[in-house]
Amino acid sequence: MRAFERDLLALLPRLRRFALSLSRSTADGDDLCQAALERALNARGQWQEGTRLDSWMYRIMRNLWIDETRARARRDRTFAPEEEGLNVGDAGDRQIEAAVKLGDVGRAMDRLPPEQREAIALVLVEGLAYKEAAEILDIPMGTLTSRLVRGRAALMAELGEAA
Amino acid sequence: MTIDPETLMAYADGELDEVAAKRVERAIAEDPALARQVEAHRALRARIAGHFAPIAGEPVPERLRTMIGNNAASIDEARARRSRWTLPRGNIAAMAATLVVGLLVGQAIDLNPAPVADRSGTLVAQAGLERALDTQLASEQPSGAATRIGLTFRDKAGAVCRTFEAQALAGIACRVDGAWQVRQMMGAEAQSTDYRQAGSAEMLAAAEAMMADGPLDADAERAARDGGWR
Repeated sequence: MRAFERDLLALLPRLRRFALSLSRSTADGDDLCQAALERALNARGQWQEGTRLDSWMYRIMRNLWIDETRARARRDRTFAPEEEGLNVGDAGDRQIEAAVKLGDVGRAMDRLPPEQREAIALVLVEGLAYKEAAEILDIPMGTLTSRLVRGRAALMAELGEAA
Repeated sequence: MTIDPETLMAYADGELDEVAAKRVERAIAEDPALARQVEAHRALRARIAGHFAPIAGEPVPERLRTMIGNNAASIDEARARRSRWTLPRGNIAAMAATLVVGLLVGQAIDLNPAPVADRSGTLVAQAGLERALDTQLASEQPSGAATRIGLTFRDKAGAVCRTFEAQALAGIACRVDGAWQVRQMMGAEAQSTDYRQAGSAEMLAAAEAMMADGPLDADAERAARDGGWR
């Protein structure tokens, strides 16, 4: 097995963790992981040796997740008139599943706006430096820190760890 | 001296350089409220990190690990073929039997052109597979057809979906925006009947889970085709 595959295998546990913190459901998280792996294996030529594979993978995964959430929003809008009841039921089920699996912290993460959640996931969960996280999200440092501050304030309020 | 929330947080995360950190430390020494905020940041960080940490300790699902393993195998196999080495037959069969989607999209294996393409993140059928999905009726397909169509049904969103089985690939594709989006994909290995049967059962179960109400009969299938699968 070559270095690329070996490193990817070694990264898998962290990638699953990041996927779960973005998607808040184990099933969605592993589907996201699978999609990111497919993308990475197909685009391996675009990865530059000597750069960080983890940052590259986090970026792929995050972009796929944004596509997926947009597609879901579109689907929900498209079918809203006929299938409103159905969709509401589905969303409810997803939330219940997520809540059961993820507990208080998961619920609190669930309530964050996506742009705060991804910043929190990269820095607090994955332990990346601000600079690395800002590069993955393709935003200036100042934007990253302000999202982190707001996300943390919301989590503290939710979890009762008032600053 | 005022310390803005971003700077205080960056201090708590160890992100400040030495000079900036010293400045925050002086401010903290004068203001116990700041010290409590730093503590709160660190406690929150530990709680969030601790909550997700067990996920990284869990065993990784086999399907994710095999994706990477198979990718490596396919590259090695392609290289072996080029240099005219012969792999033991059993090996090739075993690899083929565990084929997963990562392999099938534009990878160096014997599917030329690939039946599935990645169109900005969505897998869609192309070439022979697309033609079969477009034109073939389950009720009247030639016995030697390269791709066999199984069930045709509507999913819960109303899209027409069809199960298919080709030599190295089986799955379910649904008609969305004028293309066949591949929703389920499993490897199929013509020689290995055991696997094929297992794959079929798996595919039936997947199709049933997707169906709004039952498969289309032959007339409805024809009507759907003549209506452009809408």
